[in-house]
Amino acid sequence: MPPKPHRVLLERVSVYADEAAAFMRRRRVARRPFARLYYPHGRSADHAQDSRSGAELFVAAGRLIEVAGKRQKG
Amino acid sequence: MTTVMIQEARARVTVGSFSQMPDAAAATVPSEESAEAALEFLTEMSPDLRGAAILGPGGEVLAGTGEEPERWGEDAAALFAVADGAEGAPVEQVHVATEQGEVFAVRNAGLAAVTVTDRFALASLMLFDMRSTLRQLASPNSGGSEPSESRKGDG
Repeated sequence: MPPKPHRVLLERVSVYADEAAAFMRRRRVARRPFARLYYPHGRSADHAQDSRSGAELFVAAGRLIEVAGKRQKG
Repeated sequence: MTTVMIQEARARVTVGSFSQMPDAAAATVPSEESAEAALEFLTEMSPDLRGAAILGPGGEVLAGTGEEPERWGEDAAALFAVADGAEGAPVEQVHVATEQGEVFAVRNAGLAAVTVTDRFALASLMLFDMRSTLRQLASPNSGGSEPSESRKGDG
């Protein structure tokens, strides 16, 4: 007996959701800190953490994170 | 390679003319009330947001979250100074992702917005919201109302 059509659809949706969840997990694991600057006309530039400008950007960002403090929303 | 060089050369030439566009400067300096309303709306729209501030054309804090809102001004100025100095050109947007959180800074319409979010916030949405908030705030008839180009309908 063939499966009911809505079950096929549900299964398909859950497969896509599993794929998306796995992608997000991989992204979280693989992602390293970075600093990216965006210029006019769509140009962007990455600055490595060990470069001079990158290190300065991380220090400045760290101060802002300090100002923001811990998460206030529930 | 040649195409890339031409694009880079064209970008260098057009920087000057684009910086003269009306969008580069705020039409009006928004009141602190309207800036606070815009900040509140931005905070509501962004579930990952930990803190944020909106800065005026001179870098003054128009609205900021937290116990020491005035600190946003000097620390945001330091971030923009470092970012501008990285390649010797003024930046439009900054995104720094650290282990402790993510920092976004946007300049638009003569104003600036700085936000700090949890890790893995969706950068494109965050930057879009910040840009549209600033654009709305800088428009002469804003009065601190909710940005029209928003994602409010999404939620």
